[in-house]
Amino acid sequence: MNAPETGHAVRLDAVSKVYGTGGGTVVALDGVTIGVPRSALTAVMGPSGSGKSTFLHCAAGLDRPTTGSVTLDGLDITGLGEVALTRLRRDRIGFVFQSFNLMPALTVLQNVTLPSLLAGQEPDRARVAEVIRRVGLAERTGHRPDELSGGQQQRVAIARALVNRPAVIFADEPTGALDTRTALDVLGLLRESVVEGGQTVVMVTHDPVAASYADQVVFLADGRFADRLDRPSADQVAARMTHLGAWEGRPAGGASKGGVR
Amino acid sequence: MWRLALSTLRHRKSAFAATFVALFLGTSIIMACGALMETGVRLEVPPRRLATAAVVVTGDQSYALPRMNPSDEEEDIEWAMLPERVRVDARLVETLAAVAGVARATAVEPSPGAGGAARRSTVDAVGVVAAPGVDPEDLARRVEAATRGHAVSVLTGDDRGLAEFPGALGGREGLIVLAAVFGGMAIMVVTFVVASTLGLSVRQRRREMALLRAVGATPRQVRRMVLGEALALACAAVVPGSLLGPVLGRWLFDRLTANGVVPGVIRYAQGWVPAAAAAGVAMLTALAAALLAARRASLTRPAEALAEAGLLGATAGRARRILAAVCFAGGVALALVTVLVMSGSLAGSTAGPAVLVWAVGLALIGPDVARLLTRALAGPIRAVSGPAGHLAVLNARARTGRVAAAAVPVMLATGMATANLYMQTTEVDAATASYAGSLRADAVLTAASGGFTPAVLDRVRAVPGVGGASELSTSTAFIESPHDNWQREDGWPAQGFTAEEAGRAVALPVTAGSLAGLTGDTVALTAEHARHVGRGVGVGDRVTLRMGDGARADLTVVALLAAKTGTETILLPARLLAAHTTVGLPARILVRAAPGTDIQTLSEKLSAALRDPAGAGSGPSSGPSSGPSSGPSPGPSYGTVTAGRDALTSAYTAQQRTQAWVSYLLVGMILLYTAISVVNTQVMTTAQRRREFGLQRLAGSTRGQVMRMTGLEGVLVAAVGILLGTAASTITLVPFAVAVAGTPLPSGPPWIYAVIVASAVALTLAATWLPTWSATRSRPAEAATAPA
Repeated sequence: MNAPETGHAVRLDAVSKVYGTGGGTVVALDGVTIGVPRSALTAVMGPSGSGKSTFLHCAAGLDRPTTGSVTLDGLDITGLGEVALTRLRRDRIGFVFQSFNLMPALTVLQNVTLPSLLAGQEPDRARVAEVIRRVGLAERTGHRPDELSGGQQQRVAIARALVNRPAVIFADEPTGALDTRTALDVLGLLRESVVEGGQTVVMVTHDPVAASYADQVVFLADGRFADRLDRPSADQVAARMTHLGAWEGRPAGGASKGGVR
Repeated sequence: MWRLALSTLRHRKSAFAATFVALFLGTSIIMACGALMETGVRLEVPPRRLATAAVVVTGDQSYALPRMNPSDEEEDIEWAMLPERVRVDARLVETLAAVAGVARATAVEPSPGAGGAARRSTVDAVGVVAAPGVDPEDLARRVEAATRGHAVSVLTGDDRGLAEFPGALGGREGLIVLAAVFGGMAIMVVTFVVASTLGLSVRQRRREMALLRAVGATPRQVRRMVLGEALALACAAVVPGSLLGPVLGRWLFDRLTANGVVPGVIRYAQGWVPAAAAAGVAMLTALAAALLAARRASLTRPAEALAEAGLLGATAGRARRILAAVCFAGGVALALVTVLVMSGSLAGSTAGPAVLVWAVGLALIGPDVARLLTRALAGPIRAVSGPAGHLAVLNARARTGRVAAAAVPVMLATGMATANLYMQTTEVDAATASYAGSLRADAVLTAASGGFTPAVLDRVRAVPGVGGASELSTSTAFIESPHDNWQREDGWPAQGFTAEEAGRAVALPVTAGSLAGLTGDTVALTAEHARHVGRGVGVGDRVTLRMGDGARADLTVVALLAAKTGTETILLPARLLAAHTTVGLPARILVRAAPGTDIQTLSEKLSAALRDPAGAGSGPSSGPSSGPSSGPSPGPSYGTVTAGRDALTSAYTAQQRTQAWVSYLLVGMILLYTAISVVNTQVMTTAQRRREFGLQRLAGSTRGQVMRMTGLEGVLVAAVGILLGTAASTITLVPFAVAVAGTPLPSGPPWIYAVIVASAVALTLAATWLPTWSATRSRPAEAATAPA
């Protein structure tokens, strides 16, 4: 466990996250140990309240674990301060959120180069052009987000995440707000970045179809690691999710935290 | 971050419109105040009759107040301005005529009609005409050398007019104070409003800020972006503000002179200094306001970008609560000082800031107070309205942050307007009551210009039905010795009476001696004041006064009177006091009717007596200090008559209008700013609810029900704001009324409050309904699916 994690882009070691103090505490993550392999698409699944989002926040340095440690790209980020975490996010992490990914005041091009702007660096023009072309928005670089469709907005977000060749891209329900066809486009793009660019992607989702694009699927339930499937089909994922939901709903299984949607 | 700030500004023009307008108007107001202050400081009074004189010599109007211990060189000298014209020795005319480079020196003669032996040996001023080719500044230096040892001022250029219009000097302080108070208030209100509009724009972009933080903006970068936005706005606002500023300054100055607040002979000065200062202040104001908003923005947690937009429920943070506690402590301290230390007209100087301190304190804990009040008001609103009211209450409860943001400007307006206007009315009422309570008269004659000669008094006494008449002179006097422990730099109000009638004209109870002896070189003091002069003076003791024109007078105390603290007056023989005024004559005559006389008939007879020119002192060719002397029609009259129960108060309140005008100006500015703030908050938050309204209508609400719901929310916001504003102003007004009038109840017409409340409600409702109406114009399905 303590050996150099050359194969892991992100590693969580016995990570717990407790919200609140006193009587009103909620244990969102309860001793989770998970490694995310490099150059692979990893999907994180689980019912609502299973700790998926908290997992993503802790892994991406958006939130600090209560106990345990997080290693990202070989760097222990557990004790980093706010500014160091911000730099880490800027330089080594890309984000794709479910919605509201883009600054409404900025054009496609400006949104894609935003991390460079924040870093005070001149963006690599060739790389920016290539990434924008790859997501299919070469004709729309001067448009603002409100002039784009939902799918196009997600593609801009992916371009922004890819442009700096980050160690990891974290995607939080990237297809949650899209129709099926557009969702498949976006998943295809993420998959392509892994296969062709050797990119590492961690995607939180509750959609078995989205999860079927992953190299491995990690299941969480009640804040704990529940299971793992390698290269599953959508049906396998759905079956596992149903099982998790049933398992969670059993009276002996502890507090019910909602079901599967 | 600068680029990001500019892009955001361009993209969200409407969100920043209010901030822009606030800064733009703020720059203009600050610049206008700067110009007024410059006008006061420069005090350019162009000479008229003396325009040909290169140098003018007048009496020195400054007076060093006596020190507590004359032998103590360490004690600071306090300087006072003498309010009446200080004359110069007539022999100076010859002295000055002999100075090298002088073509001729001419005396400016005292006003015609001003009598007295002393006047023949003095002149108002001396005009010195330079010989051809002599530099006025060189001449002034030689004149100064020649007049060394005399208490005179040597004036050149635009100061020369001061010799013709000595009243302008008195207007100076008023103008400077007014500009400072108005400008200072404007700076505070602008900071407050800009902080709230910027704060709102940051709150509404919470997810944007979180996104920025998530993709790699440090808290400092977010802060810099908000500061950058504010600075860019300030730069853009300063330009049109600088154009409007001089126009506004000129307009304000014209209003001030037209209303008699400032003597019209002063020349309006608009230099580059106030313009530069206003631009700088506007920038600093924007920066200070932005620092507050930026702090909140930089604290945004990046994980918030992943969450759906939450409800704007809010509680005040700890820092805000501590600051609020500091404000409340300050408010209590100011209230205590107002009650315990201040008296009379000074009370306003602590009560004015007090209301602002209370309001800021309440604004800081706005979310908490809004939640409490919302809960309290929920019952009544539900009771009087159906489902719309129910929804309105639920909305308001879920978003106390929004209610607080909207209620704070309403509170500010209600509080400031109520406090300022009722402070004004309470003070005027108290002053009027004390003036009217200290005098007794059935009719008051007021000279149209100049004053009344002794002959007028005789004529008035001869009018049938007149039981008695006393001249009334007013001026200011200082007590030179024994040392007066109560004396301040503005001296004591002095009133002069005719001895035979003084006992009846003065309503204050005499505690020692008699006012019948108020002739020759005598004086009467209020008892409490007399106790603090030296080791205490009584009837028969001698005191030395310094009169308004700088002359010394050794007087014997003949009577002591009982008067409320804060209303001290020095009583003198009318002629003695008048001789030391610029005009030289008493300006009023108090008339007592003989028993059984009809006041109306008496008043007409007195008017007729005044219309006869034979007895009036100031003829058509009156002195330089008096204005045009043609009386009101029909026929020339040398004065006006006010009679009946209000004789004294109506003669007095005419002088108080100027003060009221300044208050209205202040309240007007504050209301303007509040309107900006209320409209901005309501428009921004309501427009954001398009989707919500759409969903609600899809669920079965009619457009009318949506309007009713937001209307009730608006009423709730107005009610919270009005309650808080009323609280802030009450906390301020009660100590003020205690200090000024000796009763906790402020006085003034109730309609002022009614108008304030009605305007607050109307403004809030209009600002809520217009955007609701516009947001519900599209079909509900469109609105419900539109991007938020």
